[in-house]
Amino acid sequence: MGYQFEEHGGEVEISLSAPSEAGVFVAALEAFAALATDDESGQHCVEEVALVGSDRALLLVDWLNELVVLAELRRFVPEQVETLELLDDGLRAIVQGHRGAPNPLVKAATLSNLRLEREGGTWHGRVVVDV
Amino acid sequence: MVASSSTSELDRLDEVLWQIPAAARADTRVPCRIFADETLLEAIAGDASLEQLQNVATLPGVVEAAIAMPDIHQGYGFPVGGVAAMELPDGVVSPGGVGYDINCGVRLLALPLSATELGRRRQALVHEISRSVPAGAGRHGGLELSRAELDVVLRDGARALVARGVGPEQDVELTESGGRLSGAAPGAVSERAHARGAGQLGTVGAGNHFVELQRVEHVFDPSVAAVFGLVEGQLAVLIHTGSRGLGHQVCTDHVRAMDAAGERYGFVLPDRQLACAPASSPEGREYLGAMAAAANFAFANRHAIADAVRRAIAAVLGNGVASETRQIYDVAHNIAKVERHAGREVLVHRKGATRAFPAGSRDLPAGYRDVGQPVFIPGSMGTASFVLVGEPGSLERSFGSTCHGAGRAMSRTQARKRITGAELRRQLEAQGIVVRCPSSKGLAEEAPFAYKDVERVVEVVERAGLARRVARLVPLGVVKG
Repeated sequence: MGYQFEEHGGEVEISLSAPSEAGVFVAALEAFAALATDDESGQHCVEEVALVGSDRALLLVDWLNELVVLAELRRFVPEQVETLELLDDGLRAIVQGHRGAPNPLVKAATLSNLRLEREGGTWHGRVVVDV
Repeated sequence: MVASSSTSELDRLDEVLWQIPAAARADTRVPCRIFADETLLEAIAGDASLEQLQNVATLPGVVEAAIAMPDIHQGYGFPVGGVAAMELPDGVVSPGGVGYDINCGVRLLALPLSATELGRRRQALVHEISRSVPAGAGRHGGLELSRAELDVVLRDGARALVARGVGPEQDVELTESGGRLSGAAPGAVSERAHARGAGQLGTVGAGNHFVELQRVEHVFDPSVAAVFGLVEGQLAVLIHTGSRGLGHQVCTDHVRAMDAAGERYGFVLPDRQLACAPASSPEGREYLGAMAAAANFAFANRHAIADAVRRAIAAVLGNGVASETRQIYDVAHNIAKVERHAGREVLVHRKGATRAFPAGSRDLPAGYRDVGQPVFIPGSMGTASFVLVGEPGSLERSFGSTCHGAGRAMSRTQARKRITGAELRRQLEAQGIVVRCPSSKGLAEEAPFAYKDVERVVEVVERAGLARRVARLVPLGVVKG
């Protein structure tokens, strides 16, 4: 359970798994945090995220892209999800982190080979991010 | 024949051209053609790039063939190192066929000084460039523009900066498309993209982007090199970057819009990242306007960086050397452009591919029209880069295109397993290359062994008649994000 960086010829492919659909989104944040982390311990802060959309796979991409923008515009280095709620028409979350110098490696999350589905009792996700 | 599951359908058309017939898959509309020798083909077959190329061959309106350059590697949706032309007006435009870093490209400056004359000031020059050109994290350090000023840049490209006293007019004239794509629509660029672009003009960013101090090690074609203004031993600066967060956001916005529109147009795509719309549709026109605006931002970005490099040169080597530092050319390698090929108007997507027009093209600056377009092929860190010149074969075989770099041969994860950034830094410095890069992790991912052999890549495009070698440049110092 959690995230794993898969072999990819040029970009970074993240595979995600969790017992719940929301857990996949949490794992996605953890993966992004691993890519964006800096060596600083800047001022602790929280960011609220609200996204609209009923296509959950697309919402997963939007979620990662929101983190890219928060890192770039607000120098937000995410650390962990405080709360995350999947709604019929979107997502609401509060994310803990700090202001710092996030690694700007990730340009965007893509729709390439995008996957979010349940197999047995486990939810699986896959996203390729452009780096 | 190269034996591999992904290459089992390959026919060899000549020494360096291979084809996957359209019939190899039920959904492809045209064949796929791959420029490579057997060694490069083995490397290419090691990832999913040929499958991605076949996916491109399914797109509505694609003509002739989906084309792979010898530096092709796996990307997202389109492979990197791919070229696809769509018939206009109703063939599709796909934002993923340009990529997130719209108009990522390369600019080469030539100094009126040799490496010998630079002597012991090399370290100081690289250091001063790293101080003058913001690289790496964040959005700060670039030119601060108001919203209205930014829109002028999006509309007018590099020329907008000349009007503000940044950089010489001659640089603009020696830039692909005159440093400005027509049809730019700043209004089609979202508020978020504007916000990401604000403060980023004149910054390099991260990943494989860099500013590199180089020495012209060998001239293959003295007469063309003389026209470009290059001689052996000369110092040069290669700038590799693109449209930064603004371009990334434009792509994100329009991939989403086209993903939503695809169903309306009845498209069935093998990969969602190929999201597209007819170029003549509202979504297509909106994207092309926004893409042109982002491309203009990228031209202006490299223009501003060149200005900062000249300031660094002035600080270390004097104003005379800076003012005589001449731009050779500036080329885009992630872009979609309307061009005429074989008597018809097409929209050429180049994703990790460079325009390479031959002598006689009216799209070239007057000074280069008799020899052909300069093309710059950066190698991986620590390896050579090449100046090429466009050849007639590019128009006959690849919609006026050639390769753009060495092309990855190994995943970033594998590269990090084989070497640490600190070790790579030591190796480069042992070769006499000055390295300024804050992220050792990022450094390891760009290790030379993670890329294909750039010498072999340029040899293939030369044998294919797409472009030929003019000069080989070797690194003296590199500034990376």
